[in-house]
Amino acid sequence: MSIVLPGENVPAQHVNLKLGPGLLQSTTSTSSDASRPSIIATRAGTLHHSANGAKWWVESNSRRYVPAAQESVVGVVTHRAGEGYRVDIGTAHPASLDALAFEGASRRNKPNLKVGSLVYARVSLAHKDMEPELECFDAQTRKAEGFGELKGGFVVRCSLKMSRDLLDPSHFLLPLLGGRFPLEVAVGMNGRVWISAKEVKQTIAIARCIGEVDTDGGGMGIEGVKKLLDSLDV
Amino acid sequence: MASNTRHDGRQDHEFRTLNISYDGLARVDGSARFGFGDTSALASISGPIEVRLVAEQASQATFEVLLRPLSNVPATEAKALGATIRSALAPSLILTKNPRTLVQLVVQSLSSKGDGTQREALTAAMINASTLALLNAGSVPMRGVVCAIPVGRCTAGDRETRLFVDPGETEISEIQGGGCFAFVFGDKLGWGDGDVECVWTNWKSTSGTFDENELSRARELALKAARAVYAEIKRGVKTMGAVPFKFNEKRVKEDVKKGLEAELKTEEGSNDEKMEIS
Repeated sequence: MSIVLPGENVPAQHVNLKLGPGLLQSTTSTSSDASRPSIIATRAGTLHHSANGAKWWVESNSRRYVPAAQESVVGVVTHRAGEGYRVDIGTAHPASLDALAFEGASRRNKPNLKVGSLVYARVSLAHKDMEPELECFDAQTRKAEGFGELKGGFVVRCSLKMSRDLLDPSHFLLPLLGGRFPLEVAVGMNGRVWISAKEVKQTIAIARCIGEVDTDGGGMGIEGVKKLLDSLDV
Repeated sequence: MASNTRHDGRQDHEFRTLNISYDGLARVDGSARFGFGDTSALASISGPIEVRLVAEQASQATFEVLLRPLSNVPATEAKALGATIRSALAPSLILTKNPRTLVQLVVQSLSSKGDGTQREALTAAMINASTLALLNAGSVPMRGVVCAIPVGRCTAGDRETRLFVDPGETEISEIQGGGCFAFVFGDKLGWGDGDVECVWTNWKSTSGTFDENELSRARELALKAARAVYAEIKRGVKTMGAVPFKFNEKRVKEDVKKGLEAELKTEEGSNDEKMEIS
């Protein structure tokens, strides 16, 4: 694990090389050896690779979401347009969500989302020249798999690194909170986290904890969070 | 001036103390502060965000630079400098990855440029602050890192023109022109053989003329200093997403109370938010 800056060469070599976020295969090969394409970093962060060296990526924090296919996101419906919805997921372009991309939806029976409703969806199409598309079901099984409209609850914003951390089962925060009171969470990779708890006090506690643990905010550790929760009396 | 050391004891290739900090401005995607000594600038980046229809480009992102002077509203001079900063940074950005979007850079000057003599140092600080803000945001792909260095010149009789990096307050009366050099660092830039390329300079003389040899000497000197700035930026990336200084201090105090001295040491090691060159 090492620090890279944009433009730095990355020594990624593998017969079946896969490049993750923050890496780019250089198109202008100045070296005569064209069989070994050069890989450069495109963002500052720490360089990681899988155990066998086939997958490489750069880990860094960011606040602006750029859509990538198959990522789950939390969005707000901003428009109803005929057969679908426009959803704000924090990207430069609004995403489109087809009214038929829900579990059990048909021509007759479509979900009725209002402007301002929250949805938990998966990015089904992310191409730089097209607007992102969302779906609220698994295209193979046609089951919701937890996606769909989010009713009630509260949305917290955090950095993208924090939302990835929350999705990591080994991260301490959600198990710690879950040990104190029952809660529901939907983590979007776009830096939006939907939370729902029985009492307002608990909702506030979760929101505060996410804000404090976020490396972009406070970067609090497990001990600090325990103390904070004690002080909030939850 | 003495042959090798300057008024403030620096060597010709040494700049003033660097101040790099990531303050985490709210409501933007990345921000940073950069200063050569007291001459500093603050930059923030938002993007890729939604673009106004008139500025939309079908094949690449629109890169907009807004420059805010220390006092007054931005006028012609600020706009000219903004265009300069834009052209210096553009080679380091990969704007084609996010077409039909906007990348907005706002640079706030934090020092007056005096009677125009500190202008080069301020321009360099602005370019460096912008680069740091872009690195901090992490949402705009880049193919290199731009570092800028101010260089002063002074002629003394028949002798070769003396060149020195980052003229300080005490040297202002002696300099006769000079300029700022911006370099882009990156391994595969595609337009050169090396890992570095000079992207912009505004070298000028206020006393007579200068020759090609002087310009190339100035560029070499600036490059040497720019490499040091680059190394410092790279060292700073570790602390980029880290805890703001004030908050951490409180945490350290709490830990002392609990007698966690071992933890304290590691905390101290990781909160070098402001770095200095010794």
